[in-house]
Amino acid sequence: MTATTTRTLHPHATIGRPILSARGVTKSFGDTTVLHGVDLDVAEGEFVSVMGPSGSGKSTLLYAISGMDAPTTGTVDVAGTELTTLNRKELSRLRLTRMGFVFQQIHLLKNLSLLDNVVLPAHLAGSAPRAELNRRARELMERTGVGHLADHDITQASGGQLQRVGICRALINQPRILFGDEPTGALDSTAAGEIMDILTELNNDGTTVLLVTHDPAVAARTDRLVHLRDGLIEAELHLGRFTPGADPVAELRRRQLQVQDWLARRDL
Amino acid sequence: MLLRMVGTDVRRNVTVTVTLVVLMMLSVMMASASAGLLARLAGAGDRLLTVADAPHVGQMHAGPLDEGELAAWAGQRPDVAHHQVQLLLGVDNAQLIFDGVPQTDSIQQNSFVVANTERDLFTDLAGHRVTDVESGTIWLPVIYRVENGLEPGATVTVTGPEGYRQHFVIAGFFRDAIMNTGIASSKRLAISAADLAELQAHTGTSEYLISFWLHDPAGGTAAFKKAYLDAGMPSIGPMLDSSAFRLFNMISEGLVAAVVILAAVLLMIVGLLCLRLSFLAAVHTDQREIGVLTAIGVPPGGIKRIYLTKYGVIGLCACVAGLVGGWALAPVMSRSLAVYLGDVEGPAPWLVPAVVAVAVFGVIVLFIFSLLRRFNTLSAVEALRAGSVGTRSAGPRLSLHRSVLPTTITMGLIDLVKRPVMYLLLLVVFAVSAFIVVVPTSAATTLGAPSFPTQMGVGEADLALNLQYVDDTTAAEFSAAVDGLAADPDVAEFVALTSTRHDLTTAEGERTSLFVANGDHLTLPVTYADGRAPVNDREIALSLLALADSGHRVGDTVTLDVAGRPRELLIVGSYQDITNGGKTARAMLPADSGDIMWYSFALTVRPGVDIDTKAAEYQQAWLSIRPWKMSDFTAQQLGPISRQINQAAALSALVAVALAVLMTAMFTRMLLAGDNTQIAIQRGIGVSDSDIRVQYLTRILVVLALGVPIGIGLALTLGQSMFNLMFEGMFGGIGYLFRGTSRIEFITSPALTALALPALLITAVALATVASFRTITRTGVASLVTE
Repeated sequence: MTATTTRTLHPHATIGRPILSARGVTKSFGDTTVLHGVDLDVAEGEFVSVMGPSGSGKSTLLYAISGMDAPTTGTVDVAGTELTTLNRKELSRLRLTRMGFVFQQIHLLKNLSLLDNVVLPAHLAGSAPRAELNRRARELMERTGVGHLADHDITQASGGQLQRVGICRALINQPRILFGDEPTGALDSTAAGEIMDILTELNNDGTTVLLVTHDPAVAARTDRLVHLRDGLIEAELHLGRFTPGADPVAELRRRQLQVQDWLARRDL
Repeated sequence: MLLRMVGTDVRRNVTVTVTLVVLMMLSVMMASASAGLLARLAGAGDRLLTVADAPHVGQMHAGPLDEGELAAWAGQRPDVAHHQVQLLLGVDNAQLIFDGVPQTDSIQQNSFVVANTERDLFTDLAGHRVTDVESGTIWLPVIYRVENGLEPGATVTVTGPEGYRQHFVIAGFFRDAIMNTGIASSKRLAISAADLAELQAHTGTSEYLISFWLHDPAGGTAAFKKAYLDAGMPSIGPMLDSSAFRLFNMISEGLVAAVVILAAVLLMIVGLLCLRLSFLAAVHTDQREIGVLTAIGVPPGGIKRIYLTKYGVIGLCACVAGLVGGWALAPVMSRSLAVYLGDVEGPAPWLVPAVVAVAVFGVIVLFIFSLLRRFNTLSAVEALRAGSVGTRSAGPRLSLHRSVLPTTITMGLIDLVKRPVMYLLLLVVFAVSAFIVVVPTSAATTLGAPSFPTQMGVGEADLALNLQYVDDTTAAEFSAAVDGLAADPDVAEFVALTSTRHDLTTAEGERTSLFVANGDHLTLPVTYADGRAPVNDREIALSLLALADSGHRVGDTVTLDVAGRPRELLIVGSYQDITNGGKTARAMLPADSGDIMWYSFALTVRPGVDIDTKAAEYQQAWLSIRPWKMSDFTAQQLGPISRQINQAAALSALVAVALAVLMTAMFTRMLLAGDNTQIAIQRGIGVSDSDIRVQYLTRILVVLALGVPIGIGLALTLGQSMFNLMFEGMFGGIGYLFRGTSRIEFITSPALTALALPALLITAVALATVASFRTITRTGVASLVTE
């Protein structure tokens, strides 16, 4: 069953042709098959969330379509490149230059300062002079509210601050698509709200975002909710673009109730 | 929960756990096997000396001997229990043919003897005495069975002038307690009394081995040796005592044991380092569980017990397996020892390795306790806070964003700076590896260098001529030779020295005998360790051994009996000498000022002159003169050591490379295992495997680049001292250790030491790092998945 809502686009954002197109993706671990032939399209500029019960294959799907892990069968096209034909080195390069990742855990490198964690992918990609990349990193950190922590160690920042640094790192190479695996899962509700504000803003600026989440409050911010069950997409909910309007809290609350109601009906 | 955590940890880190066990097991195995070897060595060496009733003091004498006078002197000495004189009939190796093979190239000095029947006995390989040799047969020292592959029934032929040939059939092999191993370059070959007399009538040079047994060998040897020389007893040749015999027996195998023990210690250091790495990785992974346990009130002791159990069990398994391996390995390692010294009985070869294994286990447990101390101060909040255990950053900050180096190299350097202690241990490993490559190779290049004899008391010459003083006609021969050399157009430079015997008064007022070489010491000079050559008859230079004995220093005056009267001479220099027992002096005293002992010449020939032809020509012209080529010097004087050092150089290069490779491989694997999450994160954000590999290569190679120069520096300083210590022990005896009597300076080949050997290590280590990286299971992004 699919609920359809009217699309209300942000004035600055456009949703275009698919940037990610997965067809018949399966993933097996030994005798256990987790994904049973998933088809998924994500349009350029779209904000998509993937939900589903534990064990439904959400993260497996995320890793299979982001080149982190090879699907057992099926095809995945990201921005015109077929992932399943690439070798490991080419996949690494693609992840480095065209994709961004935000994880649930604070997966930052402990030996590096927060700024160095952000600039690392940029320096490796070498897409611009280092001074330019450093400036871009500082700007991103300023924009996400952690500019003052640039020279700090990862032990000197809170979980929410570290997650912002993680987002900056994911964005430093100006990826075409940002993947998030429960990016707010380890944060309190205030910090989670702030992270979602940042992701929403990024999406409004044109970055495609695909998140895996358990949290209806997170899904309520996205354009479209994909529901996974037993390794198959069972249903989708088109929420339309989130526009804060005069009373953003009330609007968010409304969308969250819509998601919860929809999910409740899914679980019946 | 405790057990579950331990179980999970072992399952999760099978590679790491197995690596730890293997590392420690190897270390315990090598340590206990070496301990077993040493126990066997000490036991067997002493047993051989006891069974053979080896003399406490032995004096070689190559000159006329008045046995009556010797017996009379020995008889009135209360400290002498017995004495004995044995005739040694020395033959040139060119005259000695083993199973059809002339021994021309052998570095052993072979002498025929009649086997003793009461003391200083030969024992066969079953431990029975060899006292009676049948006519026509010969018994050989066991070295010829080992080195030349001879077997009973083979023929030994001795040739002599005028086509003389005498054949002997090998009846068996024996152990000679005092001239057993290759390091003692004299060998005794036992034949019957009748055969010896027959041989003596045709060929050979007679020498005597004068042996003494003392009532108090432990305390009285030094005093006896001095009294013997003071009394002017026959002493043309080296004097050795039981400590030297014991050293000869122990040194070659003992060196092997020392090297293996060193390797075992290194392995253990790396094992403990890996244990620490594994511990930190485990604690890091378990920190949430630890936090939960601490939060619900489990005391630090409870948490410690988990880790103590885990690593204690690992250590125990390693020690038990290592001990069993060590017991099995020790007999293999002591195979050569068993041939030379015989088997040893008793519990020591089993007990000593066990004690070592228990001691190693103790060290492991103590190390674990020291690691666990950190839990005493850890609060629940700290434990729950990510990265609080063992991940605190330290040291100066290197910034990626400020670096001008390639990103991957900077990443490698940052890790080095962040975890210096961990890499310090790898640095030690690399420094030690470089050290154990460079010391033996430097020793080998030194011994092989053309200028080396000048450090040994002989000028840098092409040819040396020796003329033993017999009577007044010898002086005439000497004069003739001086004139002949002066007139010879083929001779570029020559120096003639007259060696006389004098009494020297030491700083303590004791009188000791000294051979002084007189003549021009500025032509074809020796290398002086201190000071310079004497230039007038009021000056003297002493060999380092003689200087140590005299109790004086360079710059002091010393009293020498010259022409029957004491004369004060200024000590202007000191030099190293291994000729004539190593206690010599150089001065410009008149020839009639003391008893003339021998004459010697050193000369260089003009370019294009064949040295062998020249030597033969002089031998022909002056029959009493023995010429020898300087290029044979090392082989003649240092043959056994030189050969062993060459072998040791090759072997130690292999061992060091193997050590560096093993350590690097183990270390890298542990490092990779510990860095699991960090690698997964890098892979997750798109860092390629080759970029990650470069980071690890950078770390290892930078440590290597720091460690190798340190090792080379230590080798050329500390290693040189160790080498000199070995020389002191070998040529002066244990009593001269640490007295500065050997001052050899390494003559190294810069291309070898600074380029080839480091390049060898770098290549091996780089390959080991890359290979270890390949074997690591793919640390996938999967470990970052939260589902």
